[in-house]
Amino acid sequence: MIACTDFIPAYSELFKFLEKQGGKAKVVEFWNYLSDNFLGNLRDLAAKHGLRGCWMYWSRTLNEEAADFTMELDEELGELQFQMHKCPSKGRLLEFRHIEPYPDYCEHCDVLYRRVLEPLGLDYRIDLSHCDEARCTGVIRRKKQ
Amino acid sequence: MAKEIMQRKASDNVYLHKDFHGALSNGIQFVHDTYGAEAVRQYLRQFVAAFYAPLKAEIKRRGLAALKDHFEKMYRAEGGVIHITCSDDELRLEVEACPAVMHMRQHGYKIAELFYETTKTVNEALCDGTPFAAELIQYDDANGHSIQRFYRRKQS
Repeated sequence: MIACTDFIPAYSELFKFLEKQGGKAKVVEFWNYLSDNFLGNLRDLAAKHGLRGCWMYWSRTLNEEAADFTMELDEELGELQFQMHKCPSKGRLLEFRHIEPYPDYCEHCDVLYRRVLEPLGLDYRIDLSHCDEARCTGVIRRKKQ
Repeated sequence: MAKEIMQRKASDNVYLHKDFHGALSNGIQFVHDTYGAEAVRQYLRQFVAAFYAPLKAEIKRRGLAALKDHFEKMYRAEGGVIHITCSDDELRLEVEACPAVMHMRQHGYKIAELFYETTKTVNEALCDGTPFAAELIQYDDANGHSIQRFYRRKQS
């Protein structure tokens, strides 16, 4: 067994392995595959509860991942904002001195979640411009009818 | 309706997100489907060589006691029940039920056909370049129950 606490480096090494085998396109193909096959929980919650479903999903996962974050839900405005002050995944990868993170590691968060949420009428935007410091911000909005 | 805010520090929670086992299982299935079984083993060997380099160095320095500490810590964190016997030349580990497999079964995640390689190949790769070898004596796909053995290689 690989400990779930060792998953993030395993994930990063998987991206490197796939890129070596089939280029960046193969990595993105895997992210699409993972989104379709693994994120059923988020898909079900968002389909049933909309933005609140997203809130429910990340309330659990970000706490289990011991993330340093702020999340704000404004249902009247139709918006869920998040600020990741220190991403537990990227933060870990940057802390390990003996492994090199996959350079585009954080992009998976854009591909995986957008693919789930946008078909459900939710606009998903993430700013990864500070991901080298394990920080990012994002917003999910109900699309206008 | 009032705005809801959730604010957390990393120190507010324990880092233990078992759903990651499901993501790894999907990764293994994808590599298997795309590049075949040997590619799964190749990927896992690459991961072990890179990430577990410090553990492998410990195994060379301290022998099987380093592996014993690694397994005890890992299974304790994930709530797995294990039985270990360890001497200078042999370590035998019995896992009553693999926490990863049990979590995936409980939450309906598909378990990759080659998920057992996260035990078999990972153990073998941990021993590469050390005086030890590994064998997976028993593995039950249903709950991940396993008997794993590490032993000192015979000198030629």
